[in-house]
Amino acid sequence: MIPFDPIIFAVLIAGLYMAWNIGANDLANAMGTSVGSGALNIKQVIILAGTLELLGAVFFGSHVTKTIANGIVPIDTIIQSNPHIVVLGALSAILAAGFWITFATFYHLPVSTTHSIVGAMLGFGLASVTYGFISITSIKWVVLMKIVASWIISPILGGILAFIIFSIIRYFLQRSEFPVKFERTFGYLQIASAGYVAFAHGSNDVGNAVGPLSTALSALNLIDNGQTPTWILIVGGVGIVIGLATWGTRVIKTIGCGITELTPTRGFSAEFATATIVILHSYSSLPISTTHVLVGSVIGVGLAGGLASVDLSMIGKIFVSWVITVPVTALTSAIIFMGLMGAGI
Amino acid sequence: MTTEYIRSVLGIFGKSPFRPLHTHAETSGKAVKKVSEALIAYCDCDYERVNVLVEEVSELEHDADKIKQSIRKSLTGSIMLPVNVNDLLLFLKPQDSIADHAQASAYWLIARQGKIPDEVRESIMELMDLVLATIDAYEILVDALADLLEMSFSKREVEDAMALVIKVGLQEHLADVADSHAKMVIFKHESELGGAGVYHLIELVNKISGIADSADSAADRLRSMLYRR
Repeated sequence: MIPFDPIIFAVLIAGLYMAWNIGANDLANAMGTSVGSGALNIKQVIILAGTLELLGAVFFGSHVTKTIANGIVPIDTIIQSNPHIVVLGALSAILAAGFWITFATFYHLPVSTTHSIVGAMLGFGLASVTYGFISITSIKWVVLMKIVASWIISPILGGILAFIIFSIIRYFLQRSEFPVKFERTFGYLQIASAGYVAFAHGSNDVGNAVGPLSTALSALNLIDNGQTPTWILIVGGVGIVIGLATWGTRVIKTIGCGITELTPTRGFSAEFATATIVILHSYSSLPISTTHVLVGSVIGVGLAGGLASVDLSMIGKIFVSWVITVPVTALTSAIIFMGLMGAGI
Repeated sequence: MTTEYIRSVLGIFGKSPFRPLHTHAETSGKAVKKVSEALIAYCDCDYERVNVLVEEVSELEHDADKIKQSIRKSLTGSIMLPVNVNDLLLFLKPQDSIADHAQASAYWLIARQGKIPDEVRESIMELMDLVLATIDAYEILVDALADLLEMSFSKREVEDAMALVIKVGLQEHLADVADSHAKMVIFKHESELGGAGVYHLIELVNKISGIADSADSAADRLRSMLYRR
């Protein structure tokens, strides 16, 4: 019998903070594009996005959660030597990711929560290697490489798909007798695509918040090893929705006011492409950044001649931010872990 | 806003240069209309009003200049537009010289005072009206740019825009004809006007015609911009 570990509450609280942050920033960003094109007002966006985010998290969120929980670090091996260490590792990872996200948000850096948590879990894994709990080769490098590759490929795929979708829509738009009516019709379709984005986001991003919690719970045998019970996904999903409904409204307003060029046809193309690519990655258990895919999709619409102006300097900023994020969160996570170990907690 | 706790994708959306381009054309158009009013006041020997109007032209030209600078500033190397950025800048330049020529005409107008014979007045006003018509045609063309963007440059919209480019060219040609006619009339009255008077009016005609020339070459640049995309 493994004794109950009160540190689990700290993992839960840090996870909820992460969920709140994901809802307040990432989901709000994805939803802001719908407000910008005038398809929905803010209240409607909150209700629609909140509901579908939760559904996505609950019904489709377990794949990515499992990858983050035990897909990178061989948790089972560490549990066998000491389950408490795994709980500390989960806490270190979620704290490190949370700190970095807070810092990045404060300085308006386009940092991804996904990259942060993956880096942080890796940091815990590497720290475990230095303590001799696991060997360096037992870290699942192949999975990690796949994840990193998907970070580069997913925005490109988003761009290609959005380019194709908008090109098809443009073909019909240019042949339509009443272009204004055509755009209005897409206003309704965009409500569906916004919901689709929220669902996809929930399926991929809930794991960023509850992955470490899942790790800690399975270490304490409170959940079956390798399983993600629905209630954990509900906790994460609700945390994200609360973030959206509280701080997220401000973010949506900022984005909505700033995006004036995104008409319903353009918004639909970018959103539909983003959601499709994100869902495919959720299905493949790969944690990716919804925001980065959205940026790729917007560029795709721009390349198809759909936008008055696209600022490509964002690509460089995103690239730099993720090159920095993984080492920073890995190092922070390792330092917190070693600190907790050293303090005898 | 910068102090808010926000990470956002807003950075991917560049500032569109098309709306300010439209405002720039409008401002230049207003300046030309003021020149025409100043010319009427000049012919009526109401120099006080001429001075007020010339000042207004100068202010409009300054406004247009500021808009032009903000457009140039917004078009950094990382900006991707549905048209070639260099083409857009090449088209902005002659559009900006519409306001420049308007200002030059206004300043030249007040450089010398003198009574204008009725026949000369009529011929210069005819030229001015044709220049205004050219500018009107040009403004309609710039208006069409918004539709072009909305429809993502459909063949139909591009063809419509091309027809408008031709119309600007046609108006400019009529202005050219009026330009040479006005000069003929001025020389016809050379003994009455005197050498300095003739020089002042001939140069005035040149400057007013320059406004239509600028509109025509801006329309021409716009055509290349649309063809080359």
